[in-house]
Formats: sequence, structure tokens, C-alpha cells
Amino acid sequence: MNNALAVASVVVKELYRRKDFYVLFVLTAVITLLMGALNFFNDDKIVRYLKEICLLLIWISALVIAVGTSARQIPSERENRTVFPLLAKPITRGQLIAGKFLGCWLACGLALIVFYLFFGVISVSREHQLPMASYFQALWLHWWMLGVVVAMALLGSVLFAAPSSNATICLLLILGILLLGRHLNKVAVQLAEPMSTVVYVVYFAVPHLELFDVRDLVVHNWDPINWLICVGATFYAAAYAVFFLFAAWLVFRRQPLV
Amino acid sequence: MPAPSLILALLFVVCFTLATWLQPWHQSWAGGRAQSSSLLDIVMGDSQQLFANHFFTKADVYFHSGYYPSVFDQAIGGAPHMTAAKDAATEHGPEHAEETGFLGRPRDWIDRFSRNLYPSRHSHLDSPGEAREILPWLRIAADLDPHKVETYTVAAYWLRQHLNKVDEAEQFLRAGWRANPDSYEILFELGRVFDENRGDFQRASNVWELAVRKWHERSARNGKQDDFILEQTLTHLAQLEEREGYWEKAIAYLEKLKAFSPHPNVIQQHIEELKRKAVAPSVPNNSVSPQAGKR
Amino acid sequence: MDQANLFGMEPILKIEDLVVEYRTREFGQRVRIAVNRLSLEVFPGEVFGFLGPNGAGKTTTMNVLLGFVPATRGAAYVFNVNVRDPIARQRIGYLPELTYYYKFLTAEELLRFYARIFRIPRAEVGPRVDEVLKLVELDAARKRPIKTYSKGMQQRVGLAQALINNPDLLILDEPTSGLDPIGRMKVREIIQRLKQTGKTVFFSSHELGEVETVCDRVAILYQGELKAIGRVSELVEKYECNLEQAFLKVVGYNSER
Ligand SMILES: Nc1ncnc2c1ncn2[C@@H]1O[C@H](COP(=O)(O)OP(=O)(O)OP(=O)(O)O)[C@@H](O)[C@H]1O
Ligand SMILES: [Mg+2]
Repeated sequence: MNNALAVASVVVKELYRRKDFYVLFVLTAVITLLMGALNFFNDDKIVRYLKEICLLLIWISALVIAVGTSARQIPSERENRTVFPLLAKPITRGQLIAGKFLGCWLACGLALIVFYLFFGVISVSREHQLPMASYFQALWLHWWMLGVVVAMALLGSVLFAAPSSNATICLLLILGILLLGRHLNKVAVQLAEPMSTVVYVVYFAVPHLELFDVRDLVVHNWDPINWLICVGATFYAAAYAVFFLFAAWLVFRRQPLV
Repeated sequence: MPAPSLILALLFVVCFTLATWLQPWHQSWAGGRAQSSSLLDIVMGDSQQLFANHFFTKADVYFHSGYYPSVFDQAIGGAPHMTAAKDAATEHGPEHAEETGFLGRPRDWIDRFSRNLYPSRHSHLDSPGEAREILPWLRIAADLDPHKVETYTVAAYWLRQHLNKVDEAEQFLRAGWRANPDSYEILFELGRVFDENRGDFQRASNVWELAVRKWHERSARNGKQDDFILEQTLTHLAQLEEREGYWEKAIAYLEKLKAFSPHPNVIQQHIEELKRKAVAPSVPNNSVSPQAGKR
Repeated sequence: MDQANLFGMEPILKIEDLVVEYRTREFGQRVRIAVNRLSLEVFPGEVFGFLGPNGAGKTTTMNVLLGFVPATRGAAYVFNVNVRDPIARQRIGYLPELTYYYKFLTAEELLRFYARIFRIPRAEVGPRVDEVLKLVELDAARKRPIKTYSKGMQQRVGLAQALINNPDLLILDEPTSGLDPIGRMKVREIIQRLKQTGKTVFFSSHELGEVETVCDRVAILYQGELKAIGRVSELVEKYECNLEQAFLKVVGYNSER
């Protein structure tokens, strides 16, 4: 654990010394503020469209940050040969993977906190109410979803050599799940037999990242989710993250580094 | 480093000049977007209409607080319902029948679980003023496709009826009329603004009469049009004239209405009633000279 | 240290019949043998020079010792522990041949990071980092990100990180490459000082002059095979010339004669 945390702290340092996060944050803030400056029928209490746009930008930025950093970690260690002095020390490859995961995930968490604070400020300035519970749930579930994403990208990065192709594949896969995941069962019903089973299997196998997308509830001021459901979703994400990390370890464990 | 900073300064000046030079052009574009959507045309081409439809639907999604069938649900369960102009006329009529929901019973545990994490109950923006949330999408839809008439009528309905923004409603309808001079739907809504909100019976009846004419023109040109709006327009006209005491005019409209109404005998009864009133000499209680205003 | 004493001890590093094959990712799946049946022992307190022309298999051997590359056949042990076990690396200091360290960290942060992995107690980390930075003369640049360092400075960072855990066995892959003459001399001094404190150094080099001055024993590798091993003086006697000429003879390069 100590080793993993040491590796994680380096990853976090890297993230905040790189400019990606700041660029994405400023971009999100600027676009949101521009959108907020629009005038629709002289009504300055309209807020939900703004919340939706802000959350959409946050989701995109967070995915880019998560996939971008985690897909790069291990390939760049190998390419820059920093992995050699590191693994020459008493650290196992499993600890290295765990550390990379923790680092990326914590870094994403920090980024999310900044983003959601901004979101909170925007929504309070218009709505004059702050549903803390809902916002916290949205942040929490978002973070856990990113955990699965980071683990997935790490697995991809030990499977595919080129980080850019890995990042592209991961992003496509994640977008596919987010957009279609919930509906695959309905698609399966309408297909002919061999395909139907295939789609069903896919439906039950993929991590349903879209479960963690509670933006609609937040945008439209629905009541907070039942906390038990949140706990369940957390375990669901944890299970998939552990699965992907384990797979990444299995692949990486015996991989020659040169 | 004097040279790079000089170049930088030069570039800055160029950018600044360009910006000031473009500003008036931009203003003219932003100001009269309804007529000159040419830039959008160039950039987006035909996909504009697609996006406009998307945003129009988005307004409906917002009206239901996010509870809305996806294309996949629609493929299985049938069409979604719209807060279209029909609502405007029927005032929350049969739409509540939909509350049984399009989701159906959960198909599996993931489905059941996920329903806790997205809006899965029927809901409307009912509390006062909440309906404002749908406006931005309608506005964007209108900007993208100024020829989508529904956008204007729906927005005007909400602005006028629920948000107490009569001026904005009128403005928006006028913008729609400019973009769609032949739209009897917009004229009908505009007439309602004059009649119900402004108390300007003259203009209301003018606009409605124009709407009836446009309806016939378009029927002649493009084939059969939506009866519903014509029926509504004629009914409103008849009611208006009746209210003002011009029985013959009212009867004339009712006669037209009878021609294609599903309940002609109800209308016939009403006509008889009016005829009786017309025979009995009654003075219109309104002091406005009726004949002068009529074209 | 004389012969009897040497062989009376347990070796600190033992390579037994090591074979390493690389699969080249080309059509036909050619297998190329990088190290062929290498057996070698290094004893505590020795400075051992590992020589060979380019492509002889020196780096490959070291990669096996550190567990980066699996042995195709044979085995290697450090401190009597198979190199596949990460515990074996607690008391090793390793300097890779070409390396860039995390560019966004400063030298000090990098060393602290490695110190943490060695579980050096918190109180000792500060003095230890100061000590190695002073040793490699990077004191002035310690607060600058590594990306601002010159090649030689990066090589010094490498040396510093290899020394951070006060290791008993140092595996150095061409420690003097990229250093200026003063830097080379420094490295030689460091190796000699380490030897005086009883450490073992296993290093590869192309600088035969420097090998001659610091090494107790050398091994000469050629095309993956061990061609000669022994004390520098023995080799010089056997081939009746200096180490450089002996080296050339061993690898079969005869220009003069
Ligand atoms: N990743 C690899 N894949 C295939 N072959 C490799 C790989 N790495 C090294 N080799 C081959 O193995 C042989 C030994 O290489 P190695 O790097 O061990 O040489 P070296 O003795 O360190 O040489 P130098 O003095 O140039 O550093 C070479 O023939 C090299 O081409
Ligand atoms: Mg080498």
C-alpha cells in the first residue's frame, strides 16, 4: 500500500503540473458563463439549460482527463524508461498498477471537486437553493464511474502498445456504453435469435457506466437518490474496477519490459 | 527578445482590428437572425432542421423533467406525447392519460436498478414559473430552423399563459410570422394574444380573418390542411363577434364552421339561438364602432 | 582480498547457465539469443567489471538480474534470492544505461519518492537525500525540474537514485557514459569509496582504462557467451598485454597481428 501510494502521489503531481486540467476547466467555465449570459425572453431565472450544459462539459472534461492520464501512464513509463529504475526497487508490478490506478483516480477526484464547486456556484447564483445531497451523490457516483474508466484504460494500456490508439478505443467504448448501454436489452428483444443472445450477453457483461450518470436528476431538481441505491452503485463500480485492475495485473505481470 | 515581442504586438493589433471590423457585421447577424440565418445555413446545411427538431423535443423533455422515452423506447412502446399547440387549445386535456408510463415493467435487474438513477416517473413543470425552463430550447430551435412553426406557437403559449410575458410572446410570434408569412397557425396564436391578453378585439379579428384566408390559400396550393386550427380560428372568431354583439357576423362564421365540424347539429342549435337573439333588438354593450374596424 | 578468501564466501550475485532469447516481432518469428549459457558469480566486497562489445548481452543480463526480462533458461540469484522475487531488490542500487526520470519532478522529489519505496524512515530521508545529492554534485539544482537538466546531470541523478538506499550491491550499466572527464573521475572515486565501505559493485563499461584502475575482476562477454573471466592482473598476464589488447584478442579482433 505504501508503494502504491508513493506511485499515486507522483501521478497526482504530474496531473497538476501539466496544463490539461486547467485548460479544460477554463474552457468549461468560459463556455458555461457565455451560455449563462444569453438572454431568453428577458427571463433571468432560467437555469436548467445552464446546469445541463455545465454538467455536460464537466462529463466530457472528466472523461478526457481520466482516459487521457490513465491511458498514458504505463506506456510513457516504458517509453521514457522510467519504469526501469522504479521496478529495480522493491516494488511489485501489482503495486505499480495499483499505484497508477489510485493516482489517476484520486487526481480525477480532485478535478471533479473543482468542477462541481464551479457547478454549485453557477446553480446557486441562479436558483438560490443548494440541494447538497443531490450534488454530493452526483459527484460521488461520477467519481466511482471514473474509477471504472481509469481501470479500463489501464488495462487497455498494457494490452495495446500505442497510448493514442488505446485512448481512442477506450473513449469510443465508454461513449458507446454511456449512450447505448441502458438500451441494449431493448435492442436484443427486437433482433433475430443468434444476434439477440449476443447482444444480451454484451448487455450483462459490460460495466453499465450510464447508471452513474444522474445528471437528469440533478438538472431537473429531482429528490436525492435513495442512499442504499448509491451504496449499491458504489459496489457495482468497485467490482468492475477491481476486475479490470486484476486483468491488467495478469497481463502486465509476465510482460517483458524491453 | 525584442523581435518576437514585436511580432506578438503586431499580431495583437491585427486581431484587434479584425475584431472591431467584424463587430458590426456580427451585430447585424445576431440582431436579425430570423431573416439572415445564412451563416448557419452555410455551416450546418440541412442538419439544421434535424438539430432544430432535437431541441424542440428537448423542450418537451424539460417539460417532463427529463422523464422521456428514448428512441429505443419509442421503437418498442409507441410515440411520445408532445406539449404541442394542441395543449394550448385543449388546456391539459387527455395528456394525463399517458401517465401509465412508457417504461413498462423492468426487464431485468439492471433495468430495475437503473430506474432509481434517472427520472422514471411522470412529471410536469407545474409549479408557477417553472415552465420557463423549456424556453431556451425553443429559442434555439427557432434560431436553427425559423420555418418550424410549432416552435413559435408553443413558446408563445407558455410565455403568455403561464409566465405572464405577453410582450415577449407577441414579439416571438411576430418574428415567426416574418419568417413564415403564410402560417395560419402563428396568426391564430397572435390573434389570441390580441384577444385574450391585450383586449384588442379589432386586431384579433383582423388577424384571425387573415388566418382563415391563409388557411384556404394553403389548402388550395398544398392540399388539405389541418382542420383543427381552422375550426379553432372560426370558433374564436364567432365567439368574439358574439361577445361584441355582431350576430350576423357570428352566424356567418358558424355557418362556415358547420361545414366541416364533427358536430354540425350542435353548431346548428347555436346558430338558431343567435338568430333568435338577432331578431330581438338588442344594443351591443360595447361602445366601439364595429363596422369601422372591419375590413 | 585473495583467491582463497573469495571462494570461501557465499556469492552475492549468482548467474547459473542463463539463456535469454528475444522474439523479434517480424515475419517468421526469428528467435535471437542475446545471452547464451552464462554462468557467473560475484562475491561480496568485489568491484566486478562486465565487459563486451556493443550488443554482447550486458544490458540483457542486467535486465534479467532486475526482473525486467524473464530468463528463457537458467536462473539468477541476488543475496541468494531468485531475482523474480521483488524482495531481492531491497538492497540493490541500479543505474540503467539510458534513462530519463520523471521530468516534471525535481531531483529532490524524485529521490524522496524512491526513498519512500525503500521504506527509509522519514527522519533519515532528508539527510540521506542531502548526502547523495552532495555526492553527485547536484546540490545547486535540486529544486529544479529534471526536464531542465543536461544529459550529464541526468546521469548524475541516476547515480544518486542508485545510491539512495545505501545499497550493498550496485548494478551500474555504463555509469560513466555521458559524463565529462571530471565526472568520470568522480564516479571512479565513488566506486572506490563504496568498495572501501565493503559494498559490491557490478558494472558494465566500455572504458577499459577505468575498468583496469577500479576493478578486482572482469568478465568479457561476446555474442552472449562468456569468453574470459578473472582478475585483471591474470588476464594481462595470460595475454601478455594490457587490458585493452586482451579485450580485443578475446573478442577475436586482430588488427595488428
Ligand atoms: N527488446 C529486444 N528485442 C530483440 N532483441 C534485442 C532486444 N534488446 C536487445 N536485443 C538484442 O540482444 C542483444 C544484446 O543486447 P544488449 O542490449 O544486452 O547489448 P549490450 O551488451 O548492452 O550492448 P551495448 O554495449 O551496446 O549496450 C543484441 O544483439 C540486441 O540486438
Ligand atoms: Mg548495454
